[in-house]
Amino acid sequence: MIKEFKEIYAYRQMIFSLVKKDLRGRYKGSVLGFMWTFVNPLLQLCVYTLVFSIIMRQNIEKYYLFLFVALIPWMFFSSALTSGSISILNQKDMVKKIYFPREVMPIADTTSNFVNMLFCFVVIFAVLLVSGWGVNLYACLALPVIMIVEYIICLGIALLTSALTVYFRDLQYILGIIAMAWQYVTPVMYSSERVPEELLPLWNLNPMTPVIEAYRSVLYYKTFPELNTLLSAFVLGVIVLVLGIIVFNKLEKGFAEEF
Amino acid sequence: MIDENNAIEVRNVSKHFKVYYDKGSQLKERVLFRKRNAYENRLVLNDISFSIKKGEAVGLVGKNGCGKSTTLKLLTKIIYPNSGTIEMCGRVSSLIELGAGFHPDMSGRENIYTNAAIFGLTKREIDARLDDIIAFSELEKFIDNPVRTYSSGMYMRLAFSVAINVNADILLIDEILAVGDANFQAKCFNKLREIKAEGTTIVIVSHSLGQIEQICDRSIWIKDGKIQMEGAPKDVHLEYLDYMNTERMELAEREKTRREAEGSEAAKKKKRYGSMDCKFTDIKLLDANGNEQKTFRTGEAMKLDLHYECHKKVTDAVFGFGIFRSDGLWCYGTNTRIDHKDNFDIERDGSYEVDLKELMLIPGEYWIDVTIEYGEGNPVDYYKEALRFEVVSKVSDVGVVRIPHEWTLNL
Repeated sequence: MIKEFKEIYAYRQMIFSLVKKDLRGRYKGSVLGFMWTFVNPLLQLCVYTLVFSIIMRQNIEKYYLFLFVALIPWMFFSSALTSGSISILNQKDMVKKIYFPREVMPIADTTSNFVNMLFCFVVIFAVLLVSGWGVNLYACLALPVIMIVEYIICLGIALLTSALTVYFRDLQYILGIIAMAWQYVTPVMYSSERVPEELLPLWNLNPMTPVIEAYRSVLYYKTFPELNTLLSAFVLGVIVLVLGIIVFNKLEKGFAEEF
Repeated sequence: MIDENNAIEVRNVSKHFKVYYDKGSQLKERVLFRKRNAYENRLVLNDISFSIKKGEAVGLVGKNGCGKSTTLKLLTKIIYPNSGTIEMCGRVSSLIELGAGFHPDMSGRENIYTNAAIFGLTKREIDARLDDIIAFSELEKFIDNPVRTYSSGMYMRLAFSVAINVNADILLIDEILAVGDANFQAKCFNKLREIKAEGTTIVIVSHSLGQIEQICDRSIWIKDGKIQMEGAPKDVHLEYLDYMNTERMELAEREKTRREAEGSEAAKKKKRYGSMDCKFTDIKLLDANGNEQKTFRTGEAMKLDLHYECHKKVTDAVFGFGIFRSDGLWCYGTNTRIDHKDNFDIERDGSYEVDLKELMLIPGEYWIDVTIEYGEGNPVDYYKEALRFEVVSKVSDVGVVRIPHEWTLNL
C-alpha cells in the first residue's frame, strides 16, 4: 500500500500535466476559450435568477443565491461521478500501451473537476459581494475543510466507478441517471428542513447532504458549519475512498485486456 | 526477494488469454445465446523463468506469436501473469509504444513534458533533460510548433528522444530501431550502446537478429510459450535459423504437393520442350550430406542429381543447367560444351551430377532449368523450372551473389 502511494507521488507530474491539459483543452477552439470557465456558471446563474424570481417564485430570500452556492459544489460531485467513471475508458489507448499507476487517471479527472470548481468559486464570491449579500470571512475558514471532504468523497467514487465501468460499460449511462436522481435526494434545490422526520436516518447516509449543507451555511447563512455533521461526512468519505482503493486495486490488473 | 545482482527475475510465469469465439457483451446476448460465450484459453506463456543481471542486454527471439511480445508487456506491467511472479529493480522505461499520450495541438516542448511525465519524471527532472531531449531529436527549429504539424518521422524522433533520455535502469524495446531515416537510426543505435555502457539493463524484442547480436550479451529463444534455448546470441540464432528453415522447408514441401495436385499434365508439358528422345525422369537437389534439400544457406554446397531415360540415340549431346531468380533474372547458366567437356552420345539410360561447391547466391527464391540438347542448342528435353529452391542467410547483404571479400580498415 505504502509502495503504491509512493509511486503515485512519483507520478505527480503526470497528474499535474493531465489536469492542465484537461482544463486548457476543455474549451479549446471556442472564441472565449478559457473564459468559459467563468462565463458558464455566470450564465447559469442568470437563468436560475430569471426562472426562480419571475416564474417559479420561492419563499426563500434570494433563492438564486441559496441555489447557486449549493449548485456549484454539486456540479463538482456530479461531474466527478459521470466523467470520473469513464476516465479509464477514455484513456484506453494509453492504458493498453504503456505503464503508469492506473490510479493516476481518476485522480487527475477528479482534480481537474475540483480545480474547475475552485474557478467557479471566484464567480460565487464575486456574485455574493456584488449582490450585497456579503461574506463572513471567519465562516469561510471552514471552506477548505469542506472542499477536502468533498474531494475525498468524489475521489473514492471516481476510483470505484472508473474501475467498474471498464468491465461493465452500461454503468456510464446508469450513472447519468443516478447523478440526476441523487441531486433530488440531496438538499441542493430545497432546504433539508423539508425532509420528513422519519426519513432522516436514511437521509444522513448520503455523504453529500452534510457537505452541501456546510457550503450553504458558510456562504448563504454566513455561519460556521456544524462540525459533527461535517465529521460524519468525512468518515463516510473515507469509507468510500477505502472501498474505492480496494476495488480499484483488485480490478486494475485486468484493464489492458478488457479493451 | 530479488537477488541484488539481478535487475529482472521472472519466476514460473504463465499467461493465457481468453479467446472468445463470439463474444456478446450485451445482456440480451448473454442470456439468449449462452453458448456464444464459449471461449478457449490460449496459453501464451507456459511456466517461463529467467533472470537478467544488472547491466545485461538480452534479446528475445522467436517466431510470430511465440509469446515474446507478451513477455515484454508483462515486464512493463501493462498486463499481469496468471501465475508466477515478476520482480524488477529500478525505473523502467519502455520503447514499446512511442509517443503514447502525445497531444497534437500542443507544441513539441509541451509534449516533452507530458510524455516524460508518463514515464514518472518530475518537472525538475524533465527540466534537467530538456536540452538533451531536444538536441537528440534534432527538432530545435520546430520544437515550439504544434505536434500535428510534424511529419511522422519527426513525431517518432521526438518520442524516441524522450523515451531514451528518461535515464531508466531498465529499458524495454520492441522492434523500435526502425525510427526515422538511416542517419537517425544509426544515432539511436549508438545511443543504445552508450546507455548500455552506462550500466542500463536492456531487453529487446526483435526480428532483426543482426541488431540483437550487435547489442546483446545473451539471447533467449522462446518457442510455443517456453524457453527453447538461451545463450550467446550467435549460438542461439544459428539454432533458431535452423529451426525456422526446417519449418519453412516443411511448408514449401506442403506447397509443392499442393501445386502438384493442382497442376495438370498439360501445364507440366508446357514447361518442357524438345524431341523427348531422351527425357529427365528423376531430378533432385542434394545438400553436402547427400540428403534431398530445398533450402540452402548462402555459401553451402549444392548438388544437382539428374537421372534420364533414353528412347532413341542422341548424338553430340550437351547437358546444361541454368539458375534463375524468382523474378526471372538469369543468375547463372552453363553446359558441358561451354565447360569444354568432350563430345559424347547418349545411347542408354543414365544420370549426371553437377556439384556446386559454394552456392554464393543472396537469400531469395530460385528455380533451375535443366537441359539435354544436341548440336548447337537443339532441345531434346529442355525442362523449364524443373526445380525450385530457397536460399537463406543470416547476413543481410544485398545484390545477386555474395562476392567473397575481406575488409582492411586503416583508421
